[in-house]
Amino acid sequence: MSSTAPALRARVPRLAGAALERARLTVVPKRTRRRTSPVPFLLVISMLAVGGIVGLLLFNTSMQQASFAVTDLQRQADALQAQRQSLQMQLDKLRDPQSIALKAQRMGMVLPDSPAVLDLRTGKVLGDPVPATRLDPLRLLAPPPTKPAELDPPAHVTVVHPPATRHDAGNSTRNTTGDTTGDTGRRSHDHSGRAGRNDHTSHTSNTGHSH
Amino acid sequence: MPTSSPRGRSGRTPAARNRRPGAAARARVRRSLRGSAPLRLRTGFVFIALVMSFFGARLVQLQGIEPEKYATLAASTGGTVTVELPATRGKILDRNGRALADSVAARMVVADPVQTRRKAPDLARFLARRLHVDYFTTLRALTQQDSRFAYIARRVPASLAVRVVNAATDAGYRGLATRNDPLRIYPDHDVAANLVGFMGTDGPLAGLELTFNKQLQGRDGSETYEVGAGNRIPLGHSTVTPAVNGTDLHTTIDEDLQWYTQRVLRQTVLGARGDSGFAVVMDRRSGEILALADYPTYDASNPQAAPAKDRNSLAMTSPYEPGSVEKVLTLSGLIDAGKVTDRTRLLVPGQLRSGDRVIHDWFPHGTIRLTLAGVIAQSSNIGTAKSSRLYPPGQLRKYLTGFGLGRRTDIGVNGETPGLLPSRAQWNGMLQDRIAFGQSVSVNGVQMAAAVNTIANGGVRVDPSLIEGRATTNLGQVVGTDEATSHRVVSQNAAHQMTQMMERVVDPDVGVAPSAQVPGYVVAGKTGTAQRVGPTCGCYNGQFTVSFAGFAPADDPRFTVYVVVQNPRNGGGGGTVAGPAFSKIMSFALRRYGVPPTGAEPSHIPTTW
Repeated sequence: MSSTAPALRARVPRLAGAALERARLTVVPKRTRRRTSPVPFLLVISMLAVGGIVGLLLFNTSMQQASFAVTDLQRQADALQAQRQSLQMQLDKLRDPQSIALKAQRMGMVLPDSPAVLDLRTGKVLGDPVPATRLDPLRLLAPPPTKPAELDPPAHVTVVHPPATRHDAGNSTRNTTGDTTGDTGRRSHDHSGRAGRNDHTSHTSNTGHSH
Repeated sequence: MPTSSPRGRSGRTPAARNRRPGAAARARVRRSLRGSAPLRLRTGFVFIALVMSFFGARLVQLQGIEPEKYATLAASTGGTVTVELPATRGKILDRNGRALADSVAARMVVADPVQTRRKAPDLARFLARRLHVDYFTTLRALTQQDSRFAYIARRVPASLAVRVVNAATDAGYRGLATRNDPLRIYPDHDVAANLVGFMGTDGPLAGLELTFNKQLQGRDGSETYEVGAGNRIPLGHSTVTPAVNGTDLHTTIDEDLQWYTQRVLRQTVLGARGDSGFAVVMDRRSGEILALADYPTYDASNPQAAPAKDRNSLAMTSPYEPGSVEKVLTLSGLIDAGKVTDRTRLLVPGQLRSGDRVIHDWFPHGTIRLTLAGVIAQSSNIGTAKSSRLYPPGQLRKYLTGFGLGRRTDIGVNGETPGLLPSRAQWNGMLQDRIAFGQSVSVNGVQMAAAVNTIANGGVRVDPSLIEGRATTNLGQVVGTDEATSHRVVSQNAAHQMTQMMERVVDPDVGVAPSAQVPGYVVAGKTGTAQRVGPTCGCYNGQFTVSFAGFAPADDPRFTVYVVVQNPRNGGGGGTVAGPAFSKIMSFALRRYGVPPTGAEPSHIPTTW
């Protein structure tokens, strides 16, 4: 610095006077340290901290609230979904062709045999309409289940002969059934072991059970 | 400057000198309290290392030595909850989008016996009343020892289960909970049950439910999250694997028509005192199966109530000899081959020798003069066998293969039988005589319906289909209407001639099945009365298979209907047993789909000469 100052002075002689005055080093007056109060700073910091904590708390609370709301709404949605499904099930039950047909039949409705078709373009009636009848109705219900053989034994018949009384259950039962039912009935009895279900109609009429 | 700089230097130096003694004194005090910097640094490091080594040791203990114990401990404190996200099983729908099988959210009610034991009798009474469960079973479950889990009721409709458990909690009973337990329902009970199948406790057991299980079931997901006081902790740790719902299966079945067909079929089989029966309704153009009814059937909502043999589709799984319906295929092939026409005059003897056997007709006659139309209208075995001898070797088999015999229809029914068409090596003249009128060849119901539908469709066979669009079976086979192909089997002219001949079958004067007529419409059809092969002896056992296949309106067919009854005991044949059922089903289908009568007259081709 001591070498550059004279060189600078030599190069800019015109500025020398004023610059010299300005460049003269003087003793910096001792700064008087004013001791400021720490209160505002502490206030700001504590406000920040408290504000942060309270904010966090509020945020957390609102999150919790939202969580409660979610749980609540989810439960409500589940309940509504369950309700919708049970209503759907009811609807399915009502819409079941079987139940509709049963209701219709109870109201006295019958299936048409031969309806007429009206052609809207030509105005002609096609087909030969026949009034519907109640003859040969569609059987809607399954036949009742046949009882197992143990629960539905052949009728116990005792044949009383005029001269002497004799109990011969097995033999007389077969004879009696054969007599009363004729050919069809006997055949269905013969088959009963193999296809008991199918001879239901004849069986019912034979034994006089109405299920 | 030279003067000023020494002054400045000297000005600073004294000040520094003045400060030093104080600072030195303070430093000396500090050193005495905290020790030297390196010492402090070393002490600090040792302390940190000590703490870290504790952490390390704990880490090794937690993760290395007994991780399971702590994991279970963490899980048992209830901090995290894993819930299953059940995939909804796809529906099985009919062609109008109505559910044949549906899934509803149901819950299981479970109990923690440790908590319920104290008030068990009261709680059991409460549950028995509200959930309709057995009191004693419930009481046993509620008082179980050494268990924290007991089933109280399964597959309870969700709304009921939640209501009951909430009511129990309000009444002061603790230890009840509900869990997901999806329920499969079949709203129409027995409608299409033999096709749709049913679900067991853990999975599908039969039918489409089983065949298309992969598509229907979807994939369950799960969600794990942290809870506090029953509520999910926001921003808590959570993992979600979303559930993938099953895909609905669209069938070509028409629910109402299927229902009607089943009722008519049941009435027919019971009326004829038959063993079993089935009926197929097919859309002529698309080959879509609108109804495929089986009897006996069962209630899919309660499959255990029916014997296992009633639960599959006999139409698809049980091969049978088609009998005289086969004559339609034999003779239309013969017309297509140019050997005969519908008016060809035949001398039909009372019996026909075929190798070491003799072929008879169903009605005794001397030598009669029938046209080919008469052979069909009167269902003459001898006439058919005699004409089929005009086939060059191997050609009948080629036609029958073309009609789809001996090959699975692959409509998506499990366990479908391909039927039995004798191989080329087994084929001989005697066999061909019998095959010509439907013996020594066996088929399944849909195969035969599709073969007759070929005639209805002007000689072009359309693959039958049960699945709308396309679906992949568990075995990876793609089936459905999108996969259906068609190919010509006989010429349009041959099909037309055969239709005209089949119209004579329902003629009250010359045909054998006037009861198959549908009032207002022209019907073409063919009866079948075949001897039945016994299941054990492999011979004809004296039983019969009676059937009727036909289509209407004959001049522009819309549906093909095929009805078969096995072993009727009322002495009826195809015309008297299956004919009326055909008429009812066809009439209902035409009415339901609004098919107007065409106004055409049935054919009057001569049947005799």
